[in-house]
Amino acid sequence: MDKTILSRLQKLNQLSLSDKEEESVLAFFADREAECEALSAIDTEKVERMVHVLPILTVVREDKEIKTFTRDELQKGAPETEDGYWQVPRLVE
Amino acid sequence: MYLKELECSSPCVALDDLILTTNTPTTAGSKMLENYESLFEAEVVTRLKQAGYSVKGKINVGEFGVDLLGETSYFGAVVDGDNLVGATSKVMSDVDAVIGLDVNGEQRRSASLFSFCNLKPTYGTVSRYGTIPVVCSAETVSITGKCPNCVEKAYRAVVGHDDKDGTSHRVESLDKLDQAKEIKKVGVLTAFLDKADESVKDKVQKAIDMLKNNGVEVVEIEDETLLLAKNAWNILMSAELCNNLSRYDGIKYGYRTPNYKTIDELYTNSRSESFGEFIKHVILFGSETLSTENYMKVYDKALRVRRVMVEKFAELFQSVDAVLLPATSKSEYKIDEVKANKFIAFEENLFTAPASITGLPTVTVKGVQVVAPAFSDYKLLDLARKVR
Repeated sequence: MDKTILSRLQKLNQLSLSDKEEESVLAFFADREAECEALSAIDTEKVERMVHVLPILTVVREDKEIKTFTRDELQKGAPETEDGYWQVPRLVE
Repeated sequence: MYLKELECSSPCVALDDLILTTNTPTTAGSKMLENYESLFEAEVVTRLKQAGYSVKGKINVGEFGVDLLGETSYFGAVVDGDNLVGATSKVMSDVDAVIGLDVNGEQRRSASLFSFCNLKPTYGTVSRYGTIPVVCSAETVSITGKCPNCVEKAYRAVVGHDDKDGTSHRVESLDKLDQAKEIKKVGVLTAFLDKADESVKDKVQKAIDMLKNNGVEVVEIEDETLLLAKNAWNILMSAELCNNLSRYDGIKYGYRTPNYKTIDELYTNSRSESFGEFIKHVILFGSETLSTENYMKVYDKALRVRRVMVEKFAELFQSVDAVLLPATSKSEYKIDEVKANKFIAFEENLFTAPASITGLPTVTVKGVQVVAPAFSDYKLLDLARKVR
């Protein structure tokens, strides 16, 4: 892990860190990398990955009409709206 | 502490701030959701009300529930003198139960420190509809009470299939809750005891003595495999958190920065100004584990280790009915110590990760944590009564 990779990660995750935070993240990553390395003690070559812990099947609901929210309700918590739309800065100059 | 207190005469609960309620903010302990009010309430809240419970208030959580004991909350840590204590300990005397989302073991730690009783149910037995998603493959609604009976009463109110939760067990699977085997023999995982301090070892010994006095056979198990559950858990937890928190962008709801000109600045500044330091670290680590370079080496490896842990528990349950381990390494956490070691939760996950990563039920009582096969929830509460 170095600052170049960290910079890429910040961009990917839409985060901007201060210099102090960057130093802290690098130290944090070093600890985590040591944890990842320790997992090599377990041989998993013939082990299947397990995404879900229990055999839960996909639940299918009946296809029937249910009450949903109106646009006004959904936009109640929005930081900025205009004429029923979510307001964002101009995307195309 | 963020707490809206209401008068109630019926049995009442406090909800942690990862559980959606209407007409009250649900903040997840984050500036990102400081004023967020949900349009609907969580299924557990609906079921509690149907069972006659009132919601007395909502309590503080660490940001998105992944820290040690709420120390990363935007609204401040809950302390008692020099000790970090978390919000549950402050409200337990006023309610019959505290209902929280066990994302990273906070409720189990709290129960362990203050001798409450906590049930982390089998994954999928309680609906997560209306809980703020953080680590979807593992988190469960958990119940903390002063005694096992209080916990069981609240659990019976919320357990059951829910069509609205895609990971909810079907009704026929939930029948297994009443068919689980009684816990007559408990294995103590000695490798975990070696990682705890003397005060915790004393609590474990006392719990063992109480179990023996009540006719439970207790044996020692020397196996170190489960110690590595923490390493895999920290990877999976971070990766899922990273994905789940990508939804917070300052557009549809939540915090929006006033400092932007472009859309990228809006996203980046909204997230950077509202997420706390701890969460930013976890997001970045989670993102790195999912990168092209690391996906197979790190994330995929952790998924395989998860299966190894599930199989290890299954092997242990061939010879014992449940296993016992501490929930924490110590009996108190000084706030200064936690401030100096900001990522202490990642270390303390040693004790909570085995049950988190496998989705197995646990009961934490009298400072110890007991893990049993899936659907042994009621049997764990029976065992908890023997420790009390």
